[in-house]
Amino acid sequence: MATIFTCDDSLEGILTCIYDAWASKLGQQNIRLLIEPVVEYELFCDYRHTDSDSHKANNVIDSIQKKISSYAYQMVYRCAMSASPDKADIIYRFLLLGFHYGRQITDMIQFPAVSAIFEINRAVGNEAHFFREFVRFLNMKGNVLAAHIEPKSDVLIFIAPHFADRMPSENWMIIDDNRKSAVIHPADQEYYLTSLSDDEFLRLSHLEDSDDPFIDLWKEFFETIAIKPRENYRCQRNLFPIRYRRHVTEFIPPG
Amino acid sequence: MELIDQNLSLQDKLHILADAAKYDVACTSSGVDRRGRKGSLGNSCADGICHSFSADGRCVSLLKILQSNECVYDCKYCLNRAGNDRVRTTFSPEDICQLVIEFYRRNYIEGLFLSSGVVKNPAYTMELMYHSIYMLRNQYHFNGYIHVKAIPNAPQELIEKLGYIVDRMSINLELPTAEGLQELAPHKTQSSILTPMALVQKGIAEHRLSVGKDALMDRSSANRYLSETIFDTAQPSRIHESSAYHAGITSTSSGTDSLIPAPSFSAPSISRPDPFVPAGQSTQMIIGATGENDYQLLTTTQKLYQQFDLKRVFFSAYVPLNEDAHLPSLDTAPPLLREHRLYQADWLLRFYGFQAQDLLTADRPNFNIFLDPKCDWALRHLEIFPVEVNTADYATLLKVPGIGNKSAYRIINARKGGNLDFDALKKIGVVLKRARYFITCKGKMQYHLRIEEDFITRQLTGEEHHSAWDIEHPQTYQQLSLFDTQFAVH
Repeated sequence: MATIFTCDDSLEGILTCIYDAWASKLGQQNIRLLIEPVVEYELFCDYRHTDSDSHKANNVIDSIQKKISSYAYQMVYRCAMSASPDKADIIYRFLLLGFHYGRQITDMIQFPAVSAIFEINRAVGNEAHFFREFVRFLNMKGNVLAAHIEPKSDVLIFIAPHFADRMPSENWMIIDDNRKSAVIHPADQEYYLTSLSDDEFLRLSHLEDSDDPFIDLWKEFFETIAIKPRENYRCQRNLFPIRYRRHVTEFIPPG
Repeated sequence: MELIDQNLSLQDKLHILADAAKYDVACTSSGVDRRGRKGSLGNSCADGICHSFSADGRCVSLLKILQSNECVYDCKYCLNRAGNDRVRTTFSPEDICQLVIEFYRRNYIEGLFLSSGVVKNPAYTMELMYHSIYMLRNQYHFNGYIHVKAIPNAPQELIEKLGYIVDRMSINLELPTAEGLQELAPHKTQSSILTPMALVQKGIAEHRLSVGKDALMDRSSANRYLSETIFDTAQPSRIHESSAYHAGITSTSSGTDSLIPAPSFSAPSISRPDPFVPAGQSTQMIIGATGENDYQLLTTTQKLYQQFDLKRVFFSAYVPLNEDAHLPSLDTAPPLLREHRLYQADWLLRFYGFQAQDLLTADRPNFNIFLDPKCDWALRHLEIFPVEVNTADYATLLKVPGIGNKSAYRIINARKGGNLDFDALKKIGVVLKRARYFITCKGKMQYHLRIEEDFITRQLTGEEHHSAWDIEHPQTYQQLSLFDTQFAVH
């Protein structure tokens, strides 16, 4: 009978779950890991919930960094930020191999367990990069720049340093509408991540300054820069997928 | 003939001057890493960041505008040629600074690309551009990417001064041969283009040496595993300024009303000198306006990389804008597939250790429209295939169609931990539909295939046909529908 360990959707939760799965000594072929909420329960399975425990999670992080490599920990971290429902199990399988082979495991893509985490890792990295490109700030009253994004993965932590370096003396915030969380950067200070209450979230979604003249100027530029005889909307869609256009100034129809 | 309207709004000006600038292809923001600074706005990433993609699928990274579309030159292919009846306007430096800063804050752009028509004379134009960029850097504290076009025949000291406040400078070669230039751009000569190019190259080399780097620009780090790249055989030549060049300057700068009081300039005397054009130089050639073949274009490209240490050479498919006896007719479609093949070949030169002579020869001067240059090359060199993936070195792997830099690198690292099979290659990112004819895994090919030129050519052209057609006909693609009006019977 298979045992399924379940945990909440956070890095700490996943790593605690891996710690418990490992400590249970049930044998890896008899174990699976799942993120809560579990949608479809299976018959003939023993479900075990694990509570997040920072001590256990830190132990796992230490082991990854010491016995595999800090690069492996980076991969695990990125994977934990993805929206994949199998991510806990994928990380677990990767670490099983990792603790056996050591630091070279991150290159051994020929193992399905490694190529699985490699792929998720790449998807999260790519998505974060897309948002570095496609975040659009709106100039709100009081000279605060605010941007809304709706990413699949939790990318705020990956894009915040980029904008903090680029606009150190501006007030800006990026709001993840899917997770109701935000990164907030007051001018000339450190940025911080925070989750938003429903009330705060609602207030932030109505603050935009719609008579910003630079919105029209930018649209004008964007329309003008395309060369008619070279028009190629399919190429444009490949490079700027539709799902990223939701909050992008030049794709929002006027009015 | 020329209508200069003083009452244009900022939006009108932006429309006119972006419209006039868009045929310049270089829009990359790559080549330099620079951290942000408190009190300033902006940083720079060596990999470059695209911020949007316009309806033609080209990346929008920089605010690409002209300082002015007034022009005293009459280059036949250019929208802004003096003979064209167009509304002429000029951005003030404040206009440019405001647009850049406000666009950048909203994360619309990565920086500024500033070019210009020639107002009055090259010296006056270059000063105007210098003034805008100087203001942007020093009054508006902009620390992001700036790419500036050097104007042929502009004074040397202005180009030097600009070099210290911009990231990339480029001078368009426009046409690969002197005759072509003579015909289409009678006011420009090849020496008026190559002399400033050599000047900037010298400035870059001197700066790099002064901070303890190699004189030549950094290239892809993986090139060190390749034996004979075009950069190994590069012998940077120092072109001496010709007397004709100096004569040209004195005659043009004499009647200039100066915007900047002090003409003499030396690099700021701080311990570490300001970088000089840190992201390197680039240039652009127009494809299809004159009769050059691909071989001429590619050898010119290679020479530019070797002799002038350019960071990039761009190709621009000729879009007919003017009617002229010397130009292709107005209904000519831009040669997009040819442009695409040239870029593919350019990548082969810079990252794959190929030389122009490997890809084309004087007898075979044009690219195969049915096959990409690497497949084409591989089919002519079947004697080195198949390659055993588990033992071949990096340079050999790179020669296989369907294996790129990243997948070659991953193969080398992954096989240390055990042999690779075709499934693993697929996960690594190898394009098996091309590579399968040229590789073995543990001594076996994926299918029992003949290594025979005609057979593989037929297979590969079948695969390539669709993508080639799509590139050449970007707008005609549509799915056939029962209710299509075009096909309805009247």
